[in-house]
Amino acid sequence: MSSSTSKALDPSSVELWDHSHHHHDVISTRTFGFWLYMLSDAMIFAVLFAAWEVLSYSHSFAAGPTPASFVEPGYVFLQTLALFTSVLAYGFTMVALKNGNKAGVISGLWGALILGVAFLALDINDVVHLVGMGITPDLSGGLSAFFILTQTHALHILFGLLWMLVMLVQVSRFGFSADVVGRLLSLRLFWHFQAVVWVFVFVFVYLRGMLI
Amino acid sequence: MSHDNPLQHPEVQVASGRGYLLTFLISTLLMGVSLLLVANHAMAPFGLMLVLSLCAGLAVIVQIYFLMHMDLSEAHIWNTVALVLTIPLFILAIGLTAWMFSTLYERTMVMLPTMHGMAGMVH
Repeated sequence: MSSSTSKALDPSSVELWDHSHHHHDVISTRTFGFWLYMLSDAMIFAVLFAAWEVLSYSHSFAAGPTPASFVEPGYVFLQTLALFTSVLAYGFTMVALKNGNKAGVISGLWGALILGVAFLALDINDVVHLVGMGITPDLSGGLSAFFILTQTHALHILFGLLWMLVMLVQVSRFGFSADVVGRLLSLRLFWHFQAVVWVFVFVFVYLRGMLI
Repeated sequence: MSHDNPLQHPEVQVASGRGYLLTFLISTLLMGVSLLLVANHAMAPFGLMLVLSLCAGLAVIVQIYFLMHMDLSEAHIWNTVALVLTIPLFILAIGLTAWMFSTLYERTMVMLPTMHGMAGMVH
């Protein structure tokens, strides 16, 4: 090892840096950066799930209503279907993008948007229904944790839907420029990640809540 | 590796309609099974939570692999590394909090009759 380096290196002529201009892979860098952001966003959910975990004992509901008395599993499963089909529609949007099919991307985005709106409408209707029955977050620690966790997820959905509206405009106006494609890829990570979070919300908040 | 056409980028080319459809079917099926088990009170709470956790874990693994494309390929290995390094943070944040409060409740709330109910077994 020492013999080969001492022979090759001449200190007066050695080049310590590279003069050529390299292309930065902007799409990869942006996608990775956005993924790191999603993982830190997921830590918010970790905190809320921890709060729900310690506030979902039967004594956490202060003798008030527990999820067992108000969660309708069939209704929440409808929400699951709406979100999963929306995620599927966004997946088909990505397939259309791969094929350079602009009309396909636009209709896929509309599909994901409409199904996401359906999810959000079901959620808002549920909250309005609960509040109408006098079941509000201030009744008990358990209900505070329940509402904050489920509605933080719903808030993520709302922002995803706004983002889809923006992308609908940008795709039709600018086409598949590097920036637009990068944003569609970030939105893919964001939207698909909401399905992952929903699995935990559905199973560990709604379904497990029915056992309390 | 230059990507003059952004559509040729591996992040775009990785899209797979079959994978997305498969994920939709598997996760919908797993959520449906979980729902039926809870609605029919098919098992004792402890076993039920075990099966539900298994269903949720399986659905999430399928989604992370087929939807988020977390794998060891050159384009995605750092996404996968970031995820793998974040999972212990989730487990520590949720697990340690759960453990602290369950021992707290055991020490301070032993007289509460509700602690001996069904929910107590779930935790």
